[in-house]
Amino acid sequence: MEDLSWSEARDLFRTWRETNARKSNEVLYHWHLSLNINLNKLGNEKFLIVEQVCIAAFDCYQLDVANECIKLLSSEFPQSLRVKKYKAMRYEAQEDYVKALEILDSIIKADKSNSAPKKRKIAILKAQGRYVEAIRELTDYLKTFMADAEAWQELSELYIGEQDFAKAAFCVEELILHNPHNHLLHQRYADIKYTQGGFDNMELARSYYCQALKLNPTNIRALYGLYLTCTSIATSQKASAQKKKDAIKMSEWALTKLKGSYKEKGFETDLESRMSAMAIN
Amino acid sequence: MPATLFHRFVLIIGFLSLFHAAYSAAQHRSFLRINEQTFTHLPLDIIFQSVGSLFAVMYGVMHIAGDFKEIKASADLENKTWETYRNVPSFYTFNHRGRTFSPFYIHSQHSDESE
Repeated sequence: MEDLSWSEARDLFRTWRETNARKSNEVLYHWHLSLNINLNKLGNEKFLIVEQVCIAAFDCYQLDVANECIKLLSSEFPQSLRVKKYKAMRYEAQEDYVKALEILDSIIKADKSNSAPKKRKIAILKAQGRYVEAIRELTDYLKTFMADAEAWQELSELYIGEQDFAKAAFCVEELILHNPHNHLLHQRYADIKYTQGGFDNMELARSYYCQALKLNPTNIRALYGLYLTCTSIATSQKASAQKKKDAIKMSEWALTKLKGSYKEKGFETDLESRMSAMAIN
Repeated sequence: MPATLFHRFVLIIGFLSLFHAAYSAAQHRSFLRINEQTFTHLPLDIIFQSVGSLFAVMYGVMHIAGDFKEIKASADLENKTWETYRNVPSFYTFNHRGRTFSPFYIHSQHSDESE
């Protein structure tokens, strides 16, 4: 890791916050190096950064740093439920789930419409490995907060963990409705459909990979997916001759695109043999 | 492109010149009224001044307003990857293997049972 000045570190932290990058170790490194000395220069972002560092400290099990952050936050906002949530998260990091749940329940009691502690309770179930219960809680949660895209995304991940792909696909459909221009969601939906297998799902996966590519032509994973679905359609027994011909044409197009983008980056690889190794039959 | 002193200067001069042109036009109308002539068109120099200062203002504003956004709705998402997009901070769990690298972490009996 390179050493940054405090303003560079602040900008870096901001991009990490916006993109949800989980770079906990790096966050703590820059915090110790430059940011905690220059805390008062940060202005508006000061407490956002303290929160970010707090979560990073839980992630790396540096509870002394976390305690320091919580102390800073609670001296500034003494009655805040949001700060109380961090106290619960400290117990979570120590795996003292009983105490964590106690605090979370008291937050929910004080403010029933607060969604953050409910999400933490589901995270605790997840941490304990009780995935089925976590799924049940999360579906209950989504009945009241159905516009919460994060929760839909988490539910789809949980369903994938339980190999319930049809339900996971439904969650991603919800996400696509929330955010129809996001190529990653189209790609994700196609991934799930491809994993499910079967001729109809392959065709559906192919059209979603195409949509992902239409939204972002640089999405390499979607290009790979398009190639794999097309070859699988071309070798399928259910497909008609015309469909097979189209699929072969499309897979060739995807392959030339892929080769082109690898060449641009300066890699010369034996792509075709690698692709055939990747395909599932 | 950052707004420089030059662009601010152009903007201010443009605005002043535009107001001046408007003021001259009003003056011209009142001059005609006093001399009881009918209004046909503005003098050419006022027209030139107002068009010229309009372009100066446009030039200044375009540089001061900051960078333009891409017109495509998905432009912001193009550089995102699934690796970061899948991370949901409100559902983070902390009992992962990474914490064993922490010097403060003591492997307890309690966590043995839960695994």
